[in-house]
Amino acid sequence: MNYFIKRVLEIIPVLFIISFIVFVLVFVAGDPVALLLPEDAPEEAVETLRTSLGLDDPFYVQYGRYVVNMLQGDFGDSFRYGQDAMSLVLERLPATLELAIASILVAIMIAIPLGIWSSTKKNSSIDLVATGAAVLGKAMPNFWLGIMLILLFSVTLDMLPVSGRGSFSHLILPAITLGTGIAAEMTRLIRSSMLETLSQDYIRTAKSKGLRTGIVVYKHAFRNTLVPVVTIIALQTSTLIGGTLITETVFAWPGIGQLLIQAVNTRDMAIVQACVMVIAFFVIVMNLIADLLYQVLDPRIRYK
Amino acid sequence: MGKKLWLFGLLMLALLIFVACSDKDSEGDAEDTNPGKAETGDENDRTLTIAIGADMVTFDVHDHINTSTEAIHVNMFNYLVKRDNETGEIVPDLAESFENIDDYTWEFKLKEGVTFHNGDELTSADVKYSLERVAYGEELRDYTNYNQIKEVEIIDDYTFRIITHEPEPVLLNRISRIASGILPSKYIEENGFDHFLENPIGTGPFQFVEWVRDDRIVFEVYDDYFGGKNPDWDKLVFRIIPENSTRVSELLTGGVDIAVNVPPADWERVENHEGTYLAQETSNRTLMIFLRSTEGYPTSDQRVREALDLAIDNGAIVESLLGGAGVPTITRVAPGNFGFAEHLYDTYNYDPERAKELLEEAGYPDGFEMTFHSPRGRYLQDAEIAEMVAGMWAQIGVTANIEFMEWSNFVELRNAKENKDAYLLGLGNSMFDAANALDYYSATRFEGETDYRNDELEELLAAAMSNMDPKERSEQYVRAQEIIAEDVAHIVLHQESINIGVSERINYTPTMDEMIYVETITKK
Repeated sequence: MNYFIKRVLEIIPVLFIISFIVFVLVFVAGDPVALLLPEDAPEEAVETLRTSLGLDDPFYVQYGRYVVNMLQGDFGDSFRYGQDAMSLVLERLPATLELAIASILVAIMIAIPLGIWSSTKKNSSIDLVATGAAVLGKAMPNFWLGIMLILLFSVTLDMLPVSGRGSFSHLILPAITLGTGIAAEMTRLIRSSMLETLSQDYIRTAKSKGLRTGIVVYKHAFRNTLVPVVTIIALQTSTLIGGTLITETVFAWPGIGQLLIQAVNTRDMAIVQACVMVIAFFVIVMNLIADLLYQVLDPRIRYK
Repeated sequence: MGKKLWLFGLLMLALLIFVACSDKDSEGDAEDTNPGKAETGDENDRTLTIAIGADMVTFDVHDHINTSTEAIHVNMFNYLVKRDNETGEIVPDLAESFENIDDYTWEFKLKEGVTFHNGDELTSADVKYSLERVAYGEELRDYTNYNQIKEVEIIDDYTFRIITHEPEPVLLNRISRIASGILPSKYIEENGFDHFLENPIGTGPFQFVEWVRDDRIVFEVYDDYFGGKNPDWDKLVFRIIPENSTRVSELLTGGVDIAVNVPPADWERVENHEGTYLAQETSNRTLMIFLRSTEGYPTSDQRVREALDLAIDNGAIVESLLGGAGVPTITRVAPGNFGFAEHLYDTYNYDPERAKELLEEAGYPDGFEMTFHSPRGRYLQDAEIAEMVAGMWAQIGVTANIEFMEWSNFVELRNAKENKDAYLLGLGNSMFDAANALDYYSATRFEGETDYRNDELEELLAAAMSNMDPKERSEQYVRAQEIIAEDVAHIVLHQESINIGVSERINYTPTMDEMIYVETITKK
């Protein structure tokens, strides 16, 4: 329990450091006013807007103001939308979570059977196809895969909707797009850790006892490969969030990723900050959950 | 352990279902508004779905300066007067009539019986509130386009006067563009502006239903619209689809009826597909190369500027990079704008031999080296155009080192006046008046950035700025454009095109102002 409290408390300084880094990056990246006004905006308009947004203050004043507000849970208003940034981000959170969870499910559904299958048939043609597919899955960029899936399943075959969010069928293509890369990574990991486990003495013992292969593989071997699998799922959360940026844009999925891309393009500091904070929070929490799950999966692991 | 794994799977599935259902309330009836296939079912048959590239910014008409946001607003708000896209004339909209009383005063009469979507009648008080809000609101983004208005004087419920600080020949153009929508003053006073932003009402043919950010904006037809209820459409949906190829795919599969900004790479796909076509129109945006006239730069010599212009084959750029969609021009003022000079339009100067002679006369027989800044991805084929121009300049011995820049950095470079010899820029003109376009050549506006100056031009621009005689004012602007062309102040390349993919089930002609007037879109 102490360990848990310690880990939770650690989140605070981590988020604080992240906020500083992001603030500095956005600050040096450029002037948002330049992007809020059209090409032919007179200088007078630029100055007026800069003053009204408080952007003519020096860095430390802006950062100080930001920290004070942040501590009160106020991330400021979006320059672009003129609304509270955090509520804009939270409004989109369900869409991103829905996509992320669906992608992980897709990845699990592909990776577990494929990884186990290829490990039990090591060096067979099945193994070759599975490992080849894993390399391919990892190598395909999300935006390319997304566009290809749309062309095949929506435009040519007319089976699934092209984009947007609404019904279950809208979720299929983006989840596959995002899940493929993770599935690839997971397959390779499951295969290699299964191979390692399968060569252990206790597996040979189980086999020599005359147990059925299915029981040996799933009950004796697979449960021992779960620790690395859970690790990879947790670590993939950050990849997943990075992936949603692109996948959400390709599929016009109204989640945090799309919001963040637009915010970066328009230097909408408040939105960028709020998005990064929410994403960082999720990554940290996922890692924490993974650490706690280890104990459940492998009773030998104990934290103090 | 097997059980635990199943439990984990079930947990994830439950989470997914929970998340998927959790925000149904905020979305309203998501299934209902989901456009799906635009061509199936009776209800969908009366739904018009338009795919746009970026989300709307706000319902605060005075605080966005964003063409694509205004393209949506025009369907729920009305201006006092509007520009007839066929004739270019300013015609009444909410106003019944208007009259110029003196150099500083315009008198308007409102149509009677116009109602906002909540049933309130439109009166002079709404006009006063709307125009004065932006004329006095320094923090609003369109402030500088309206602060010429001194006050709106109410005569009676349907009559009012707009009084300006200076004689204002372009007043009617000013109030028939972005930020000219008339807001419901009573509704806003009673409920507050924040409430209005969440539940906006206007006087237009469509009324607001919901805005799911980054996803869609939904409207329904307004039965009591003063121009008559729309006969074709019950529901209007704007879907936000940022990725070009996805937007086009939605059009091809019938998911949307209109897809804006179709990139040249997809033109053939849209044209050749059964059930869709490409609608093109010239926009009011002109692509130009700004040159430094600052002393010390080779381009400060008129002969060098002229040589650079003569080296560029504008026609070849339009043909090879834009598939013929674009009009080469020597002036920034396009047809449909007040002060248009016909003899400078749809033509260009191209004579590489003469260009070489001019360079020699100017003392650069072997050419020179220069820096050419260009944004990438901002305008149609901008980077390709910059490269082609540099190639053409190389033919006359001028080496242009192109510096491609991300848009915000490019804007900053200009703001800091750190631009070098030349940069590529596209400029629109929502005012549809030469005043707005030619302001770019006044010496004060670009001091330190281009440093172009011609005293005769300065006088002409100043005189035209407050000239209330339209005929004389138009002549002044035509003469101004001739001077600019002779001086080759900047190089004007071409007018850009608007490229929109349209479903065969509807009739739609894009307009030069880039607005999407659903009233003009009919079912076949």
